Amino acid sequence: MSATAARPRPKIDPINRGFWENARAGILSVQTCDNCRDVHFPGSPVCPRCLSGDQSWTPVSGRGTLLSWVRFHRAYWDGFRAELPYLVCLVGLEEGPLLISNILETDPEKLVIGSPVEAVFETVDEELTLPKFRMRG
Amino acid sequence: MSSPVPARAMRHPNPRNRRAAAVVGVGHTDWVRDWARCRNGERPNDSYGYALEALRNALADAKIGRDEVDGLIAGPTTAYERLGELSGINPRWGDQADAVLAVAQAVMAIEAGYAEVVALVYGNDQRSVGTQYGGPEAMGGNAFLSYVYHSPWGFTSQGALYALTLQSYKHARGFTEAEMGEVSVAQRGWSALNPNAIMRKRITLEDYLASHFVCEPLHLFDYCLINDGGVALIIAEAERAKRMTDRPVFIEGVGRFDLNRGATSLEPRIDDFYLPAQQSAAAQSYAVSGLGPKDMDILQVYDSFSVHVPLALEGYGYCAVGEAGKFLRESRIGPGGRLPLNTSGGHLSETYMQGWAHQIECVRQLRGECGERQVAGARHAHYTSDVAGKCFSVIYGR
Ligand SMILES: [Zn+2]
Repeated sequence: MSATAARPRPKIDPINRGFWENARAGILSVQTCDNCRDVHFPGSPVCPRCLSGDQSWTPVSGRGTLLSWVRFHRAYWDGFRAELPYLVCLVGLEEGPLLISNILETDPEKLVIGSPVEAVFETVDEELTLPKFRMRG
Repeated sequence: MSSPVPARAMRHPNPRNRRAAAVVGVGHTDWVRDWARCRNGERPNDSYGYALEALRNALADAKIGRDEVDGLIAGPTTAYERLGELSGINPRWGDQADAVLAVAQAVMAIEAGYAEVVALVYGNDQRSVGTQYGGPEAMGGNAFLSYVYHSPWGFTSQGALYALTLQSYKHARGFTEAEMGEVSVAQRGWSALNPNAIMRKRITLEDYLASHFVCEPLHLFDYCLINDGGVALIIAEAERAKRMTDRPVFIEGVGRFDLNRGATSLEPRIDDFYLPAQQSAAAQSYAVSGLGPKDMDILQVYDSFSVHVPLALEGYGYCAVGEAGKFLRESRIGPGGRLPLNTSGGHLSETYMQGWAHQIECVRQLRGECGERQVAGARHAHYTSDVAGKCFSVIYGR
């Protein structure tokens, strides 16, 4: 299997490292500005609201709303081929930011936009844990 | 939520750039021929070769020599300096821009006096070199692209961004799969009449609904083609344009507004489907031109995916917000419909020239040279785009 044949991994850099370290500990986090308290995701070198460089990764509830979803019928990486067709969701967190992730559900009929969802954590290997979501309640 | 568009963007601008410049020449490559050659494993040309073939045709159409050109704008897929070298043009003003920005920049340069005759030149060998718009090799793998950033969850490709948008839009507006299908069916209706179109076989709504999903809810027919080709336009200062040709096509007005905040996590798409930015761009261009949706004979919409069309119908004021589905079903946008839209077949069926071919279709319709697909007596053509949150409105008139 070639390097690109498996699944893509996040490109970890100084800005997003906190997010992935928290995920390994089972914590979902978003970047928070220490100056104006703006919360946003993905991470950025400065706060997009006040341009401060002082920011932290702070835990969030993991609760949110299903805003949209798609189902892939084509695999762009071999590592996803066995799962076709697979679901990807867009979640609006209670705290505000939007996250792209996977929804642990097999029946698209159940994916009603506006439904409550909650974060779960899927351990890929020692170094990588992916936050995912499931329907709540 | 307060509107992300500040009130100042809705104020009437100074309308001094109305009819300041006009298109005096258009040209393109034979993308039907090159489609067949690419499918046969050939590499007919590279991006520069396509761009220069289109430039040669545009200069011939304008009946001018290269030495009359004093401004040069290269498309995003060729290096500006190299295109300048190969075209043999030493301009006194130059730039690099995508299709709609190139038109806006040409008008601005002409109005500011930096140039009088501007060549806008685009070439793209995306089919023959296998440019990827998703997966491991997507667009050079820039991590800031949302479909690269989110790849660990299997989310990739331009199409996926629009699939997420469509799913959310269907829910918010009650828009249906069959209403979405009206767009590809109508555009095939147009391309069937266009000898320059790559896909000319008519399709029915049943064909659309039976076609496979790529990234659901998008069907195969909701996706643009990926093909090789080039497009060029010559835009001249208005008075000079009138001396150069008896059929100049004027730029009546341009408007723009961008939504950038939260773009990687798709906020501006999902929140309101770019609506406030489209409305601002529309308001600016309508104020400059003194025209509105009722004055337009033709609408050309940037259509990398069919879902751009209902968003544009609502955002640029062709129907009430929430009524694009009804508009597509009842007013219709294909041949014989109330609003002729993407009359060449667009990116879905004619050629994927990233908005460039839409500009020359506006010009040719207003010059009355579109044969079977000609919209009779067309006086005004409106081009809109919302690529990656950059909402643009350009109005052409004769
Ligand atoms: Zn801040």
